[in-house]
Amino acid sequence: MIEIKDLSKTFPARGKDAPVEAIHDLNLTIRDGEFLTVLGPSGCGKTTLLRIIAGLEPWDHGSISIDDKDLRGPGPDRAMVFQSFALLPWATILQNVAFGLDVRGVSKKRREERARELIDMVGLKGFENRLPGQLSGGMQQRVGLARALAVDPEILLMDEPFGALDEQTRRLLQEELLVIWEQSRKTVLFITHSMEEAVLLGDRIVLMSPRPGRIVDIVDVPLVRPRASAVDSIEGSAEFASITSDLWQRLREMQTFRRHHHQDEPAA
Amino acid sequence: MSSVASSPGVTRGGGLTGRPRSFSRRVADSPWLYRLASVAVVGTLWQLSAMAADSIFIPTFTATAGAVVELIARSDVWEAFWLSNEALLFGFVSSVALGIPLGFAVARLRGIEPLIDPYLTILLVVPMAAIIPLLIMSLGIGMAARVVIIFLFTFPIIVVNARAGVRQVDQNLIEMATSYGATERAIWRRVLLPGSLPPIMAGIRLGLGRAVTGMVIVELLLTPVGIGGLIHESRARFQSAELYGVVVLVVVEALILISIARALERRIAPWARGTALSD
Amino acid sequence: MSTTTAVKPRRFHPPGLAPLGRIGGSIAPTVLSLGAGAILWEVGARIWNVRFLPPLSDVLVRLAELTADGLIVVSLRNSLINLALGFGISLVFGIGIGLLMGAYRKVEMALDWWVYGLDTAPGLVFAPIFFAIFGLGPEPIIAIIVMYAIFTIIVNTVAAIRTVPAPLIEMGRSYCASDRQLFFRIILPAATPLIMAGVRIGMGKAVKGMVNGEMFIAAVGLGAVIINAGRRFDSAAILAVLFVTIIVATVSVKIVQLVDARLTGWLPATQRRRRANG
Repeated sequence: MIEIKDLSKTFPARGKDAPVEAIHDLNLTIRDGEFLTVLGPSGCGKTTLLRIIAGLEPWDHGSISIDDKDLRGPGPDRAMVFQSFALLPWATILQNVAFGLDVRGVSKKRREERARELIDMVGLKGFENRLPGQLSGGMQQRVGLARALAVDPEILLMDEPFGALDEQTRRLLQEELLVIWEQSRKTVLFITHSMEEAVLLGDRIVLMSPRPGRIVDIVDVPLVRPRASAVDSIEGSAEFASITSDLWQRLREMQTFRRHHHQDEPAA
Repeated sequence: MSSVASSPGVTRGGGLTGRPRSFSRRVADSPWLYRLASVAVVGTLWQLSAMAADSIFIPTFTATAGAVVELIARSDVWEAFWLSNEALLFGFVSSVALGIPLGFAVARLRGIEPLIDPYLTILLVVPMAAIIPLLIMSLGIGMAARVVIIFLFTFPIIVVNARAGVRQVDQNLIEMATSYGATERAIWRRVLLPGSLPPIMAGIRLGLGRAVTGMVIVELLLTPVGIGGLIHESRARFQSAELYGVVVLVVVEALILISIARALERRIAPWARGTALSD
Repeated sequence: MSTTTAVKPRRFHPPGLAPLGRIGGSIAPTVLSLGAGAILWEVGARIWNVRFLPPLSDVLVRLAELTADGLIVVSLRNSLINLALGFGISLVFGIGIGLLMGAYRKVEMALDWWVYGLDTAPGLVFAPIFFAIFGLGPEPIIAIIVMYAIFTIIVNTVAAIRTVPAPLIEMGRSYCASDRQLFFRIILPAATPLIMAGVRIGMGKAVKGMVNGEMFIAAVGLGAVIINAGRRFDSAAILAVLFVTIIVATVSVKIVQLVDARLTGWLPATQRRRRANG
C-alpha cells in the first residue's frame, strides 16, 4: 500500500521561466493489487508524481510511505516502464530484459532463464538475440514490460507506456497488459492522457488538473474484472461510454475554466 | 511518516547520474574557483620546473608573463601582427566569398556532386602545409603566396559546410514552399538560405580556425616577417621568454577571433543545433 | 505567382537529394572523376610547363626513384613511429581526461579553459617551444602530434558523455544501478559512437600534426623530405611524398573507421549514414 500525504513539489525557476508548482498538497492512498490510472492534461503533474514514487525525483513537502516504510529513492519493490522504451540499443533483447537482474548481481544462468520466461510471456519468443533497433515500437515496449516484470516488483509504474505507439498497436498491447496483469495482480500505477485507456484498464481513475498539479477527483470504475477477454464488448458498452464522456466533460472544463479564469481554484 | 527523505531545494539533478546534490556541495561548485585554481597550479608547476631546469630554453612563468606585457607595449610587435593578419584577412574573406557559392552550386547540381566529392575529400585530408614549398616556387615569398596558402587552408571546409548546409535543409520545407507556388529563387531566398545558415556559420567559424592555423604555419615555415619574424628573432637571440610570449599572444589572438566567430554564429543563427562538419 | 487554374506540376529537384548510396555501385563516379583529373593533370602539365606542377608521370617516376633508394621507406617508417606514439598518447590521455571531465563536474570546470582554449589554438605554434625543450629528434614531433590530436579527442569524449540520453540513465537509476554501474553499463556504451567520432577526427589531425611537425623540425620523417625537396626545388619529389602522406592519412582513418564499426555495430542504419557523412 502506498500512502501519500500532503505532497508538494515545485520546480525552481530556470532562466527566464517562473518556478512551476508541479504538485500541490496531494493526498492519495494506493491499495495493494489495484490498477490505478492517473489521467489529466499535459502539465498536471502526473508524470512528476510517478517519478517521485519511482524514487527518481525528490520532493519538497509531504511524506510518502510504501507498506509503512518511508520512501528513499529507487528500490527493488518498484519497476518502471518508460514512454520512450529506454532500451539499451547495444544490448540484445535477452540482455535488455535481464538488465534489472544483472544490476542486482543475479547469476548469468539464472537471469537469462528468467529473461527467456518473460520474453515468452510477452510474445517475443525467438527475438532474444535481436537488437532493439531491429524491433518495432510495439515490440520494444513489450521488451520494456518484460524487463520490468523480470525483477518481480510489487509495484509497476507505467509512464504513458503506449503513448508513442500507433493506435492498433496500442489496443493490442492494452489487451495484453490486462492478460498479464490479471495473472499476477501487481499494484499498477498507470499514467495516461487517454480517457478510454484509463477506463479500460483501471480500477480507479485519479483525475488531475494542472497549475498547480492536484487531484481533482478519484473515479471508481465499476466495470467487471477480468476484462482481458472482453475488451471489445466493454468498449462498446453503455457503461463505458458514460464514464468516458463524464471524464471528458471534466477534462474539458479544466481547459475552459483555465482559459477564462486564470485562477488556481479547482473546477466546479 | 516523517517528512522529506531526500535533500531539500535541489536546483537540478546533480552530477552525471542525476542524484540530488547536497547544499554544501552546490556552494563549492562555482566554476571560477576551479578555473583559477587550475591556472594557479599550472603557473606554479611551470615556475618550479623552470627554476629547477635552469635552462636558457625554459623561461619561468613570471619571466614569460613579463615578456607578454613588454611585447604588448612594443609597436613593432603590433606591426608584425598586423602584417601577418593582413594575409589572414584577404585569404579568409576570399575563401568565404568563393567557397559559399561553390558549396551551394555543388549541392544544387546533383549530377556534379559525386564527381567533385573526391576532390573535396582530398583537399580536406591533404596537409596543406606540404603545398607551401610548391607555392613558394611559383609565387615567391610575398603577400600573394601567403594569401593563397591561407585561402587553401580555409576554402575546403567552407565549401563542405555550405554544401552540407543546403543538403540538410528539411525536404518537407522545400516541398511545402513548392506547393505554395514558390519559384526557385523564392525557395532559395526563403527556405534554403536561412535554413543553411547554421552550418554555414559553423563552417565560417571552423574556417577561421583553419585560416589562423594557416597563418601560423606560414609564419613558421616561410621566411620571417610578421609574427614569424618575431619568433625567428627571439630564437636567434635566445630570448626564450620573448618566444613564449609571442606564442601566448598568438594563442590569445586565435581565441579572440574564434570567440567572435562563435558569438556571431549564435546571433545570426540562434536556432542552430550542432550540425557542423569539422575536418 | 500561382494561378487559380490547374498548373502543370513543375519538377523541382530539391538540392541535396544526391544519392546517399556511397556504398556499392557508386565507386564509378569517383574513379571516373579521379581518372579524368589525372589525365587533365598529365596533359595540362606537359602543355604548360609550370615549375610547381610537374606532370603526373614525372611524379610517379620520382616516387619510384625515392622508394628504390630507400628514402621513402626510412622516412615513412620514422613518420609512422612518430604517428603511432603521438596518436597513442593522444588516445589514452585524451579519452582518459575526457571521461574524467565528463564524469566529474569539478574536473571539467578546472580544465575547460585549457582544453577548449588549446583546441582552438593552432597546434604548430608550440613547435618552437617543443624544439627548444626537446631539441632535435622525434620528441618534439610527437609532442606536436599530441597538441594536434588530443584536444579534439577530449572535447568529443566530454560531449559524448554529456549527450547520453537521459531516459537511459534514468532507467538505470530506476532499477537501482549504482553510479559505477551506470557509468560502465550505460554511459560508456552510449558514449562510444561520439567518442569514436572524436578519435576519427583526431586521427586526421594527428597525421597533419605529423607532417607539419616534421616540416618544421626538418630532421626526420616524410615532412623533412618535403622541406628538403622544397629547398632543392624538386617539386616532383614533394608531390610524390604528398601522395604517400595522403595514403597514410586515408589508411589510418580507415583503420579507425573499422574499429568504430566493430564497436558501434548496433547503431541503426540511419544514424550510421549520418555519422559517415559528418
